[in-house]
Amino acid sequence: MTTPTMEQSDTSTYDAQVTLRVHRFSPRAEKKRERKSNPFARKSSPFGGSHRPRGKSWVQEYTVPVHADDSVLDTLLRIKRDIDPTLAFRYSCGHGMCGSDAVAINGSPTLLCTAIIRDMAHREPAAPVTDNDGFRKTGPATDEAATAVAEAAETAAVSAEEAPRDEATGRLDLGVIELAPLPGFPVQRDLIADIDQMLEQIKKLKPYLMHNGELATTKDGKIDVFEYLQKPEALAKYEILTNCIMCGVCEGACPVYSGGEAFVGPAALINQARFVRDDRDQATEERLEAIDTADGIAACQSVRACSRPCPKGIDVGEEIWQLIAQVKER
Amino acid sequence: MEEMYDAIIVGAGAAGLSAALSFYRSDETRQNMDLGIEPKVLVISKLQSLRSHTGSAEGGIAASLGNEQPDCWQWHYYDTVKGGDWLVDQDAAKILAQEATKTVVNLEHDGVAFSRTNDGHIAQRRFGGHTKDYGKAPVERAAYAADRVGHQILHSLWQQCIGHGVEFAEEWYVTDLAVDQDEQQVQGVIAFDTHSGEVHVVRAHNVLIATGGAGRLFHTTSNSWDLTGDGMSLVLRAGLQCEDTEFVQFHPTGLAHTGILLSEASRAEGGTLRNADGVAFMQNYAPEHGDLAARDVVSRAIRAEVDAGRGIADPRDPEGPRDCVWLDMTAIEPGHMLAVLPQVVETIQKYAGLDPTKDWVPVKPTAHYTMGGIPVTTDAEVYTWHDGERHIIEGLYAAGECSCVSVHGANRLGGNSLLDACLFGSRAGESIARRVAENPVLDDGSTIIDEDALIDHLGQDRQDALHDLVAHADDAEQPEAEAAEETTDNAYKLQEQLGQLMDSSLAVLTDAAAIERAQQVITDELVPRAMQLHSHAEYTSFNQEITAIWEVQNLLKLAQAMLTASAARHESRGSLKRLDYPERDDASFLAHSMTDADGNVVWQPVHIIDMKPESREY
Repeated sequence: MTTPTMEQSDTSTYDAQVTLRVHRFSPRAEKKRERKSNPFARKSSPFGGSHRPRGKSWVQEYTVPVHADDSVLDTLLRIKRDIDPTLAFRYSCGHGMCGSDAVAINGSPTLLCTAIIRDMAHREPAAPVTDNDGFRKTGPATDEAATAVAEAAETAAVSAEEAPRDEATGRLDLGVIELAPLPGFPVQRDLIADIDQMLEQIKKLKPYLMHNGELATTKDGKIDVFEYLQKPEALAKYEILTNCIMCGVCEGACPVYSGGEAFVGPAALINQARFVRDDRDQATEERLEAIDTADGIAACQSVRACSRPCPKGIDVGEEIWQLIAQVKER
Repeated sequence: MEEMYDAIIVGAGAAGLSAALSFYRSDETRQNMDLGIEPKVLVISKLQSLRSHTGSAEGGIAASLGNEQPDCWQWHYYDTVKGGDWLVDQDAAKILAQEATKTVVNLEHDGVAFSRTNDGHIAQRRFGGHTKDYGKAPVERAAYAADRVGHQILHSLWQQCIGHGVEFAEEWYVTDLAVDQDEQQVQGVIAFDTHSGEVHVVRAHNVLIATGGAGRLFHTTSNSWDLTGDGMSLVLRAGLQCEDTEFVQFHPTGLAHTGILLSEASRAEGGTLRNADGVAFMQNYAPEHGDLAARDVVSRAIRAEVDAGRGIADPRDPEGPRDCVWLDMTAIEPGHMLAVLPQVVETIQKYAGLDPTKDWVPVKPTAHYTMGGIPVTTDAEVYTWHDGERHIIEGLYAAGECSCVSVHGANRLGGNSLLDACLFGSRAGESIARRVAENPVLDDGSTIIDEDALIDHLGQDRQDALHDLVAHADDAEQPEAEAAEETTDNAYKLQEQLGQLMDSSLAVLTDAAAIERAQQVITDELVPRAMQLHSHAEYTSFNQEITAIWEVQNLLKLAQAMLTASAARHESRGSLKRLDYPERDDASFLAHSMTDADGNVVWQPVHIIDMKPESREY
């Protein structure tokens, strides 16, 4: 048995460094509102946004030593532990199963824990100035920052071999990773977004198996098997759809979805398709009817931006396209 | 004044959701609802819906369905008792084996997309320790859904709960459990709403604790960041006991230094463990079962190879400790591997940058499961053990990994944890339904609430503690000042150091000296630091540091109980290997340790009803 080490984790083993540029947000403390309803109060907009929380937004940069193959989540957790315990972001399992850590990385929705530093870091034309503690205070988002983002997006990701070394530390400087909360949803604090709207929309479509409960019987009328039988080829028709972890990445990528009531969103449609394609489920008609609405399939513009980022490999756009075809063919 | 509930369910994983479902589906609840009496039930979870760690379970759920090969519950019963190194309460294990098939079939009816045999039945695979003819040969008993059965179960249970209109309080953290010691009765819980940042007193006639395990006691763990032993610590702080906490399962195949689990299915499908010389060493340790021997046997074999200098370094850290061995999956046909182990393949590619169809993969034992926990009867009632008998706490229940009905004894078999959580979770829901039916909370205000109850004092104390945590916050507007002061302590640092301490003192192997050293560091250094922790921000809404501080305080409380129980057991059994007491000692320790927060340990005899203890050879 080794002696327990109590010192700070040794940062000298890190061969590279990266700058995380985090879009932070701190809500203004809400005043207690009277419960009495106001007949003139604005009803919630179908496009969402009327409840956009008010507060302070700013951009903060953290330059930290890393291994190029660390995940972005690992790096944020080290920032929380060693630099800034106030930085807020959701996380749980850390390996892409729980779906809690969807954010926008370099503007694209994805999970923190499956994003690897080497894939996400971009060199910028001019390295940001940081002080000895790896900090650079930046003000609220400005045109300048927006330009920097645009420039960052243009420059390609660099491999570790091409990266310059930081003069002070001798580490490879991998560049910048931009982090912001998941688009399409109201931010609650820093990288934490309110995705309740997505869950409400999924719930409204009865997201549970509906079966008549009849079991197969043998010729003499006895119950033959206890589980509902399902052939492997029937399972294959919907199995991948059951992999959805309800992270909200497809919703954040959708240009139509905005967290409002105008579109139920790709996640709700995928969950509906999951039951439509499951031959055990006997509510197919009802399910197709429920999405044949203005805020259902009619709102989908088939942009297919939802397909590429799905962390579970679901071709969301194609699945929705097939669902639309099935609704229309009724 | 806060509302009064019929039942509060703390935790929304397999156990909590199974309980909620069986509560609503019970005859008692349905009869009450027919009479117009709506039950008031609330599921409180510190996470959002569907984030619970049940979703990470990969390999299978055990049941003697016999879909692939002849099987019977008696064999499953025997395997479970033997696998637990005879520390299993046999009455409980009998229920587990008998009701397993019903449990799995119910899950299938609830929508779980199990993998199927060609004729449409639920497919089953081999899993370590599951045998036919009482240990004669391996049997295919683990029902599976590719390697995502936990995800399937979590989502299907949640979906059915939505169908039943179950009410959830998400991202609420339960901080205290109110148990009236004189009345031996539960009063409710104190909960911190992480959104509003407010403390709530939640009164209830019944409370079910289903908070999961405590893997985060260790640095190398397969568990999610949220498994901080909250439920067990709540019970300890309420003055009750925990049972058999010294038994922690180390899963043999964590992915090198990440701790991320590679399912046992990777070996069930043909993967082999190899040492630095490329030798498939498990044949030397467990000739009959080889790579599919029970998990503690495999973890200790890995440790023995490493200690004999035949370990390998994590290729990502070639100069680091040689504390891993190879998992060789190259014998599995690539197409089959992708079909039945998609999650395993993805994890290896993503987090190790290796291709398991060609490359050997570095693995290391990772803290996986707490066999011990809150002592419960087979009806999920929490009890304390004193004067040689069980004393039930009225209205308090526990289920799932945080509980100990003792079906796992000193070591759990693969596939038995989801089964335990779903089966005994359902039984908890039925128990609560019976109790609620007798005395429902009515809307007419007839339920009398004592305004000077213990729960109100606990609520006030927690409110004060919250105030103290943020009153000393540094100025959040100037984080640079924060960074400059690198010595500022925080909960995340403390948790990491506790994990490293527990890894080095208690993981896989231990002895009296290691236990004592860990106890000393905790008492002299870590606990005082935990009491000094404060938030670095002045707000309470969405302030994750507040929860983290309370979590690390819970972890320390549980670590102390675990070390106390480990020190008291002068034998080696199942997952607990004491180098100073290397043999099992049935004469003195065929008993469950019952440990309280003051460090008292009393022993409760094991329930042996059908099978006399034998040696545990694999």
